[in-house]
Amino acid sequence: MRVAVNIVSAKKVAAKEKIEDLDEKRIVPKMMLRRRLTRNAKIMLYLADACSFKGGKIIYGSAFGELHATVGITNAIAEGTPISPTLFQNSVYNSAPSYFSLLNEDRDEIITISSGMQTSKDALKSAALQALVSKERVLCVVSESLNIERIEEVNDCSEYLEAGAAVVLEVAEESTGAKEISVGKNETIIASVHDIFTLVDMFESGDCKVFIEL
Amino acid sequence: MKKSYINAYASESSAGDTAALMEAIYNKQSAITIDRSYMPQNPVGLGMMEYDDFFVLLNGVVKRVLESSNLKNFSNTLLIVGSSVGGMAESESHYFRDKNYKNIDPSRHAINVIADSLKKEFAFCDARSISTACTSSANALMLAKRLIGVGAYENILVVGADALCYTTVCGFHALSVLSSKECTPFNEAREGMNVAEGIAALLVQATPQEGGVELKGAGASSDAYHMTNPDPEAKGAMASMQKALDDAAITADMIDYINAHGTGTEANDRVEALGVATLFGKTYMSSTKAITGHTLGAAGALEAIIGCEVIKRGLIPPQTALKKAENEDILLPLEAVKSDVKYVMSNSFAFGGNNTSIVLGAL
Repeated sequence: MRVAVNIVSAKKVAAKEKIEDLDEKRIVPKMMLRRRLTRNAKIMLYLADACSFKGGKIIYGSAFGELHATVGITNAIAEGTPISPTLFQNSVYNSAPSYFSLLNEDRDEIITISSGMQTSKDALKSAALQALVSKERVLCVVSESLNIERIEEVNDCSEYLEAGAAVVLEVAEESTGAKEISVGKNETIIASVHDIFTLVDMFESGDCKVFIEL
Repeated sequence: MKKSYINAYASESSAGDTAALMEAIYNKQSAITIDRSYMPQNPVGLGMMEYDDFFVLLNGVVKRVLESSNLKNFSNTLLIVGSSVGGMAESESHYFRDKNYKNIDPSRHAINVIADSLKKEFAFCDARSISTACTSSANALMLAKRLIGVGAYENILVVGADALCYTTVCGFHALSVLSSKECTPFNEAREGMNVAEGIAALLVQATPQEGGVELKGAGASSDAYHMTNPDPEAKGAMASMQKALDDAAITADMIDYINAHGTGTEANDRVEALGVATLFGKTYMSSTKAITGHTLGAAGALEAIIGCEVIKRGLIPPQTALKKAENEDILLPLEAVKSDVKYVMSNSFAFGGNNTSIVLGAL
């Protein structure tokens, strides 16, 4: 079963090491909250802001989640030093959209997809389902932040260690003119974000209506 | 929206398979082990399973679901996995041994290792994985209900699975929420929670089968309050419960039993009790985490299975280890109660203020 959706807004961002300007001070004016944000949370908040999404249903996706927090915890365990409670609370895969919820007092439902390299495809499927069931606009956002020390020991899939993309979508009233999402080969960006990266490219080229298979 | 039905299921937890689990629940026999292997200086109560290979046990649970279902195989079935840590235990063992990442396989580290492992053993038509910490498999059930509701699939296998690992045991210890003995949910004097592992698989279908239970409602919300502490006014918890009731098109007074999230921590139990007392008044409620411990991402699926069993047996589980309830406005049965159970609610609450409630209904 497939659904035709309108892409209302879209944005992507990526860097080989670290995305420099995520406009954190403006987006998160409270310093205490800002200091606790994970890299994925900063990317996600930047993308949501760029898409003018202030609240509502969110599908967030990340294949590897909060690697910085995970590495910090395992290092502490290996070294026998205390684990930071903030690191542990930040280690869950739904940290990034949860910070969005805190910042925007968004009490709507949040689902986090983590389907490996299929993450952005599955996130889009879940977002289309959400939009279909709720008849509301849904933010679908994916991000990866792989820039941990010694990442080269395990990374052979991405030149860009930070990447994220977001779309706000709604169910189209009719499917006429809807395009298929055709994901091209991109060996520089991690595959877990490819589908939404492609969708952002389509949006920027004027293709604002696509089919998504549920 | 089409209706959806849970027609087959199987589980493994520290209490054993589903039959052994229900026996332990009704006999109030905690399956918690006091363990020093993770933190020698700090004994903690853990819900530990016996296995040589977690993934072999996982395959066995799913095989039991297939064998008890009306399906010959899973070729026309979508797999939705809910897990909070995925392959973390394996990555930890490599890192602690090697002190580097060279032998860690990224595809076996992340959440999708569970779905990937199951796809190799069973030919699912497609698979996806959800990770919202302790609501992961409850959210998987919610998604399954919606996908069947819109007619996208006829068969969906929901799997909740999490193995114990140092990150969760030591991480919860860092938050000072672990109990050094068996947890005592909803007691006035309670020490904290027991981290646990578990595997639960439920076949959700568009057509009812004999012995099935309707997956009648699902609702979710966010607290927007704190990353780990629940909203003290229970607004988020009440919102997910009310949404689940609305989705099921029933009222609060129609719920016969609530399987609580009930971790045994100070904050969770106080808030959940407040939310339930406000919405439901004195409806029977208990936390079966007093038996299994908190199986994290598997909890929603495992406790949905317990809810199905409660409906089929017509026997409401007692609250194990209850001495004096902190909140006397909720109804925690001291012994099992024979009852014509038509509707059960199961609550799951998670880090990030992520709340999900589901409603199960007798056929």
